Amino acid sequence: MIIRTDHVAGGAFLALGVLVFAISGDLPFGTLSAPGAGMMPKLMTGLMMAFALLIIAAGAESKPFKSLDWSDRGHAALLVLITGTAVALYQTLGFLITMSLLVFTLLVVVERRHVLRAAAYGVALTVFAYWLFGIALKAPLEHGLLWF
Amino acid sequence: METVFDSLVLGFSVALRPDILWFAFLGCLVGTLVGMLPGIGPLAGISILLPLTFGLDATKAIVMLAGIYYGSQYGGSTTSILLRIPGEAASVMTCIDGNAMAKKGRAGAALCIAAVGSFIAGTFGVLMLTLIAPPLAIFALRFGPPEYTALLTLGLIFLAYMSTTSLVRTLLMAALGLLLGTIGIDVMTGHFRFSFNIPELGDGIGIVPVAVGLFGLGELLATPSHQVVGDVKSPRLRELLPTREEWRQSAMPIARGSVLGFLIGIIPGSAHIIASFLSYAVERRVSKHPEEFGKGAVAGVAGPESANNSASTGAFVPMLALGIPTGPVTAVLIAALLIHGIPPGPTLVNDHPDVFWGFVASMYVGNLMLLALNLPLVGVFVNLLRVPYAYLYPLIIMFCLIGVYEVNHSIVDVWIMLIMGVIGYGLKKFGFDPAPLVLGLVIAPILEMSLRQSLIMSDGHWLIFLQRPIALTLLVICVGLLVLSATSFVLHRRDWRAKLAAAETSES
Repeated sequence: MIIRTDHVAGGAFLALGVLVFAISGDLPFGTLSAPGAGMMPKLMTGLMMAFALLIIAAGAESKPFKSLDWSDRGHAALLVLITGTAVALYQTLGFLITMSLLVFTLLVVVERRHVLRAAAYGVALTVFAYWLFGIALKAPLEHGLLWF
Repeated sequence: METVFDSLVLGFSVALRPDILWFAFLGCLVGTLVGMLPGIGPLAGISILLPLTFGLDATKAIVMLAGIYYGSQYGGSTTSILLRIPGEAASVMTCIDGNAMAKKGRAGAALCIAAVGSFIAGTFGVLMLTLIAPPLAIFALRFGPPEYTALLTLGLIFLAYMSTTSLVRTLLMAALGLLLGTIGIDVMTGHFRFSFNIPELGDGIGIVPVAVGLFGLGELLATPSHQVVGDVKSPRLRELLPTREEWRQSAMPIARGSVLGFLIGIIPGSAHIIASFLSYAVERRVSKHPEEFGKGAVAGVAGPESANNSASTGAFVPMLALGIPTGPVTAVLIAALLIHGIPPGPTLVNDHPDVFWGFVASMYVGNLMLLALNLPLVGVFVNLLRVPYAYLYPLIIMFCLIGVYEVNHSIVDVWIMLIMGVIGYGLKKFGFDPAPLVLGLVIAPILEMSLRQSLIMSDGHWLIFLQRPIALTLLVICVGLLVLSATSFVLHRRDWRAKLAAAETSES
């Protein structure tokens, strides 16, 4: 049997539904005249699983899973990794350092741009954003290690 | 009529204040840029820039954010015509004949027709909004919980029916959105739901991190810079004027697109996208020379561009009069109003006339600004398209992070955005449209509350939805739409939605 995209997608939603049911056991469904906190989540999970089953049932018409184009996965993984690191460091390092490093790393690691040009662009962009958000619009930005 | 006129005078007295004009201009300018840049649509643009409005009053905030929305409809045409890349989804149809006109050396004329068509349609849409929204708001005062439940259900079913992916996929996404919307404290019982002892989740998942993650970051993850290529030539100012024959050919398509777009705009769903496709289909059908479509037909630019602008204005009718989002963009705009303590809905016109009429009047002014921005300055704007994408997307990621973090100063929100970005990437791979998820997330609290209130009111009898005429009518429409969808599914008929999906696929 050829595994198709809708089989995988439907299966993933089905698994998510099972997980949600498993962790929502303590939420009371209530009664129809006094619906509890668990009524809506359980109804929606049930609906989601029903639709997932329908997708799996009609999955034979979808593309084979192997034919999906994952050529951008390296780019996506690097972006997630670099952005995730920036998020983790944001409150410690603060806006200016984190954002400069984020832009610099994206340009050097993902885009293979010249180090000096990337550094200049990263700093210039961050200073511009700092001026726009922090000074012009008075949005409180994270200070982190820096005092300003 | 006299009341509407008096109210409009009040609206213009607000909209013509220098500070409001400035924010309308900013919104239009940013919207034009957002519409032009591939990868960021109006939803991501509005979500990212939402925190910038926190320091503003409600009128300035909504005027600026709405300017981004309808401004993006103008800007999207520039990229479509010059590069054959839709700057945002509603410009897909403009790519076909707009770019064909550009290849014939008529890029300037195509841009001018798109801008003038957008202006006429946008102004028509605002005029209709002025006339329709206030009486609709008065009618909506009769709505109780059962009517709201039925109306929100109709919204979801309509979105599913209109969607270019299948009905089941759309409903699945909506159910997931509604499920995500239940995260946090249950306001009726005080139970914590799915919050995993994370205090920030007690208030639920915000729309902004979800929308920015799914539509902003998700799009960037799926777009490596080497895939974005474009050699753009800016038209000269003297090339912008269409010939008399081109004006004649565009007149009726603009008129038809304006009316069609507005009617579709007030229906829930990604109305501006659907409106542009339907307008293209109508123009090809009524044309005496349908063979010219795809080869640079003027009507193929004028109709869809007018329709998508009129639809984006039409979408404000249910948003302002009923407080119900017709799509993710209006959902974020509703969130913006709520953040400023202004609940949209039937009471908005009476309780906050300065906000309502100031907003309506600002759209008349905004459309004029956009015409002025998009024609003479098109040469300046296209320079933005020359900035290599490799240098552009780090800036977008930075804005995503700032935008999401500044809403609540919560790093949890930023993590949610990142997770949603990965989910958005996955959904794209498997052909799921994330828009219904966002709509579900937005309406989840209202739907859950009205459903539970209805059941409590009726002592647990579902029949309450069938005993009240308005709710019954709305539910009958729901059933009708489901039957229509099921019919085309069973008969394997390729209806207009399948054709739209095919057109979107071929252009992307």
